[in-house]
Amino acid sequence: MTRQALDLTINGESHQLMVEPHWSLLHVLRRELGMTGTKENCLEAECGVCTVLLDGKAVNSCILLAEQARGRSIVTIEGLGDPEHLHPLQAAFIEHGAVQCGYCIPGMILTAKSFLDERHGRVPSEAEVREALSGTLCRCTGYQKIVDAVIAAARQMNSWPEAARKA
Amino acid sequence: MSTYERRVAGKRLKRIDGIGKVTGKHVYASDFALPGMLFGKILRSTEAHARIVRLDVSKALALPGVRTILSAQDIPQILFGTAVKDRPVFAADVVRFRGEAIAAVAATSLEIAEAAVRAIEIAYEPLPAVFDMEEALKPGAPLVHGAWGDYQALPVLDREGNISGRSSMAGGDIEAGFAECYRVYEHRFTTQHVHPGYTEPRTAIASWDGNGDVSVWCNTQLPFDMKNMLAEVLDLPASKVRVVVPGIGGGFGGKLRVGVEHFAAWLARRSKRPVKIVTTSEEELTDAYPRQPTVITLRTGVSKDGILIAREGRVLLDCGAYANSGPATAALALQMLAGPYRTPHFSYESVAVYTNKGSTGSFRAPAGPMGNFAVESQIDLIADDLGIDPLEFRLRNVYREGDKGPAGDTVSSVSIEESLRRAADAIGWKDRKPGPDGGKSRGKGLACSWWLTTGGSSGVYVKINPDGTVTVVSGAVEIGTGAMTGAAQILAEELGVDLGDINATDVDTHLSPYDYGAQGSRTAFSVGNACIAAAQDLRRQIGELVGPLWNVAPESVRLEGKGVVSGNNRLSLAEVAALSQRTGGGLISHGTFIQPMPTFDPTRVRNHPLPAWTSHSFHTHAVDLSVDDVTGEVSINRYVVAQDVGFAINPTYIEGQIEGGVAQGIGQALSEEIVYEGGRVLNANLTDYKMPTMMDMPRVECILIEKPSVNGPYGAKGVGEPPCIQPPAAIANAIAAATGVRIQTLPITAEKIALARLKDGD
Repeated sequence: MTRQALDLTINGESHQLMVEPHWSLLHVLRRELGMTGTKENCLEAECGVCTVLLDGKAVNSCILLAEQARGRSIVTIEGLGDPEHLHPLQAAFIEHGAVQCGYCIPGMILTAKSFLDERHGRVPSEAEVREALSGTLCRCTGYQKIVDAVIAAARQMNSWPEAARKA
Repeated sequence: MSTYERRVAGKRLKRIDGIGKVTGKHVYASDFALPGMLFGKILRSTEAHARIVRLDVSKALALPGVRTILSAQDIPQILFGTAVKDRPVFAADVVRFRGEAIAAVAATSLEIAEAAVRAIEIAYEPLPAVFDMEEALKPGAPLVHGAWGDYQALPVLDREGNISGRSSMAGGDIEAGFAECYRVYEHRFTTQHVHPGYTEPRTAIASWDGNGDVSVWCNTQLPFDMKNMLAEVLDLPASKVRVVVPGIGGGFGGKLRVGVEHFAAWLARRSKRPVKIVTTSEEELTDAYPRQPTVITLRTGVSKDGILIAREGRVLLDCGAYANSGPATAALALQMLAGPYRTPHFSYESVAVYTNKGSTGSFRAPAGPMGNFAVESQIDLIADDLGIDPLEFRLRNVYREGDKGPAGDTVSSVSIEESLRRAADAIGWKDRKPGPDGGKSRGKGLACSWWLTTGGSSGVYVKINPDGTVTVVSGAVEIGTGAMTGAAQILAEELGVDLGDINATDVDTHLSPYDYGAQGSRTAFSVGNACIAAAQDLRRQIGELVGPLWNVAPESVRLEGKGVVSGNNRLSLAEVAALSQRTGGGLISHGTFIQPMPTFDPTRVRNHPLPAWTSHSFHTHAVDLSVDDVTGEVSINRYVVAQDVGFAINPTYIEGQIEGGVAQGIGQALSEEIVYEGGRVLNANLTDYKMPTMMDMPRVECILIEKPSVNGPYGAKGVGEPPCIQPPAAIANAIAAATGVRIQTLPITAEKIALARLKDGD
């Protein structure tokens, strides 16, 4: 065994782990930590269901080595909002009927959060949303209600102070 | 239809499983794990048709962490299959397609299992293979199954050699019909393999208990069918198999049948440890249940004023190496050849053909897009030739209320004319003259169809809890459509409670009442009706409980406002449920439903497992698109769907079904294909298998028509499958209108359009 010590900060909590150097962040999240909100499918960064935030930016955790997340801040869907306090994106996805089977939704929501955060509150156009989220495949919805949900959440977050948006 | 105002059904309410899904708390089968579980991996054939002459697992078995390796010699030689029992768990002497399972490994990690698969030594002796359906039907073609005659099969099937099933429908007098036609048109169309594309891979976790019973957690659409099929391949009574579906990330007909469950169950049985298997994208695109390719030939005769008089049609359907649902899908193609049109004289035949390629399945609206692409493309070709507006041509020929379908069954609740007119109006059909559009050519097209609402029985247990909430236990899986939210809306309506008061449980075949499963556009329809039956029974139980207390007739008791009411008497539902728990074991009901089978004329039908349709839906798609004059790339400007849903139980999720179905249909129309070179898939990954992304999809404008069905809850009709039927035909027709180029093979890639325009000297 060639396991090495690795401390990861996930959703603000620190985790002390022993990992194989070739393990992906997705593997560590799902298999080692049992954090299954981050989903698994193609394992080659084509489908986007494994998206997490690394220092606020959306990344495919299936092709990111866990080691590359050392010393950085990781946010998964479990860290975004809970059932009693949904993030506006989570609430908007439900409100607009953007959720069907739901398997792509954690990745879709985190990609949308990264995209909206980069815009510092400016509400995107439909075309901008479609381009920004095109790396995540959804087979159920035809995407339309997802686009509507992201724009609606952006409108709501638009009025927030910057610090609240990033929280 | 009753005229009272509904509170819950028909409203745009939020789905009951939404919060778990947006917070990552909803557990899918792929998220499920058991302590001490092993990981399974499959050794798959690298030959399309070959004899296995050597299989040596000794080196693989010696790897540290490997617990079990199984191949055909280690388990009973049981063949399974839906229509024909033609498929082994592991290929025994012969492999019949590239990707077929030969052995399975269980190890302490996935990496070790993968290493063990690589360490298995195997040698093949190639056999003559056949990859093309028409070649497979020629005399002397290699037989995919030499022993086809020994297989068990459904009695309805007509099989021979490489034919796994052959069906036909005929009516009128085809020769006389053609003799009276003004013109007769013959065309040939071909369609491709497409994958259902669910985002959650097929997954199973199996574990055996001390009684020799096996539990399998998996993401199947049909838990009860899965239970029975697993019992067969495990050589167990069905009562010893328990199937649980924690959650399922999409299905679309691709998760109806055994995928990896049987491997997990066998590995767990021999290793005496729980075993989990998850498919990879490569496995999905080489050994799953994609839509079958077809070759469709049509010969259609019309009068001078565009009335359909006679049609002859033949469908060849490539079911791959194992029949699975191929014979039934081929049979369903016959109704698609008829389309929603009166045709006095007809003769349709379909043939499901074995080839040395991966098996296939029942992807959403089996046979729908293929048959519709052929029929609706040809209608436009005929209308153009006769100089008749394609919309007008269709309006002259569509079914009217009470017409007879191809099996002589009565077609009722017909709304095809309304759907055609409303879709055409919305797309601006009157103003459809094609024209240039800045380096592009712009045009409009439309296509219409019909479809059925599949039968099969549903049972629900409905419990009223002493806190006033309601629990519904169903054997139907919520695969994402929102069908169980729809059924819960119906139940809430009937019980006088809110949607938020209803909880739905996961399916566990040991606990849940039977359901025919999440397939065939039937879940909300059939489970919703079972909920109505359960609510009626609960009203009766409650009336009998409180009637004597209040000295009122039990029939006078109503359920409303979360309470039980008769005259001036009122108790909350919670109080009545608590009362029942103290005195009568609690309020619980078993509601059931089965859609009545229609009558039909058996002389018109041969070897067809589903000859007569029920609770028909009607729908039209209209598209406005532009084609790049240089590259042939298609961009969709507008897309309209007018679909008859009978009664819109929840318009938001019905739109979701339509928008998602159109996306799959656009994929089939323009970009998706599992590309075979001989027996080898060239694009077994999600980079090269091109499903539409958010950038490829237009907004879909949905028009919901509500022409009530006789059997559906509040008149609802099946909704889920139809939206993927028409996109290939509607898009092909619009491309032809825009460019003058008619593409008769799917997918209609940019290259095909550009090459065809070059040939035309355009």
